[in-house]
Amino acid sequence: MIEIVRQKAGELLNQGKIKGFIAPSRENGHVAPRLFTRVEELSTLNLGDSSSEGDARYPLDKILITLHRKYPDDCFGILVRGCDQRGLYTLYRLNQLNPDRVIEVGIACSPGLAKACECLKPFPDDAVAGDPVAPEGQKAVEMVEDMDMAGRFEFWMDQFSKCVKCYGCRDICPMCFCNECSLECKDLVSKGDLPVDIPVFHLVRAMHMADRCIDCGLCEEACPSDIPLRTLYKKTGRIMDEEFGFTSGINKHEKSPLSIMGPAPDKKGP
Amino acid sequence: MLGFCGIEAERLRARWVSSAEAPEFVEEVNDFISALKQIGPSPLKKNTAQNVA
Ligand code: SF4
Ligand code: SF4
Repeated sequence: MIEIVRQKAGELLNQGKIKGFIAPSRENGHVAPRLFTRVEELSTLNLGDSSSEGDARYPLDKILITLHRKYPDDCFGILVRGCDQRGLYTLYRLNQLNPDRVIEVGIACSPGLAKACECLKPFPDDAVAGDPVAPEGQKAVEMVEDMDMAGRFEFWMDQFSKCVKCYGCRDICPMCFCNECSLECKDLVSKGDLPVDIPVFHLVRAMHMADRCIDCGLCEEACPSDIPLRTLYKKTGRIMDEEFGFTSGINKHEKSPLSIMGPAPDKKGP
Repeated sequence: MLGFCGIEAERLRARWVSSAEAPEFVEEVNDFISALKQIGPSPLKKNTAQNVA
């Protein structure tokens, strides 16, 4: 798989189609994101796998936003898994990236990773490597739904109270690009002191992610307190699907129902 | 989302009421108050009271 990606990225660089290729790189024993600008550098290319598949993923989309702003005339290549591509589609929709200046090189995730993530599309459109597998169910969400109200309340309050308000979940999020963040608005959540306001802090973020979250799971991986944030946002995503038949980043040209003024669109979902 | 976190969804309402519609506003608020009285105190409030005590 990695050879195909390396070859593809090399071609793009050789042909001068891209200024650089964004992907993880293994150097000095560590996997970290890198901008490859020369073909020779591609020997350290990595797919975000440190000791197991997908355990060293990074918000590559977010890095692309920074590069896009800094080099407004250049085109970049980027390694994408299903979630990264959902992120790109969402960032195109939100006018944060220009699709004409992005070339995606997609890889499909293995059944094992798809199962661990329970994401809705564990493969990108037009994958160059890997065999697309069907999405798994969403057991994590169902586990909470199976609890009664008191159980859910206890579960989430226990989880939220572990929060150290490090903002890691927001900072790693490829869909968080606002200049002013509601999580720093003192009318919503108290700023600069602990403990964090619960459940407000986490629910404000969940609301803001409603039509954005692409379920990449990086927030949960970043959270030092192991709060199951992904489950929370998966639920917001589900509500969007049930109410509006919309899933963020699944279709390239789909507008968010939350950006349309007027009567509610017809429900497509169950 | 509130329901998913074990908080009664009826505790949150959003309504569009124009500034020219005072009676509608009063009615809405009164209705909300009586609905809240029926549900009783919020689990969140109980929690803080316990923490303080
Ligand atoms: S969220 Fe989906 S696409 Fe992304 S790494 Fe997990 S399985 Fe792959
Ligand atoms: S990453 Fe975890 S601990 Fe840090 S602010 Fe987010 S929820 Fe809280």
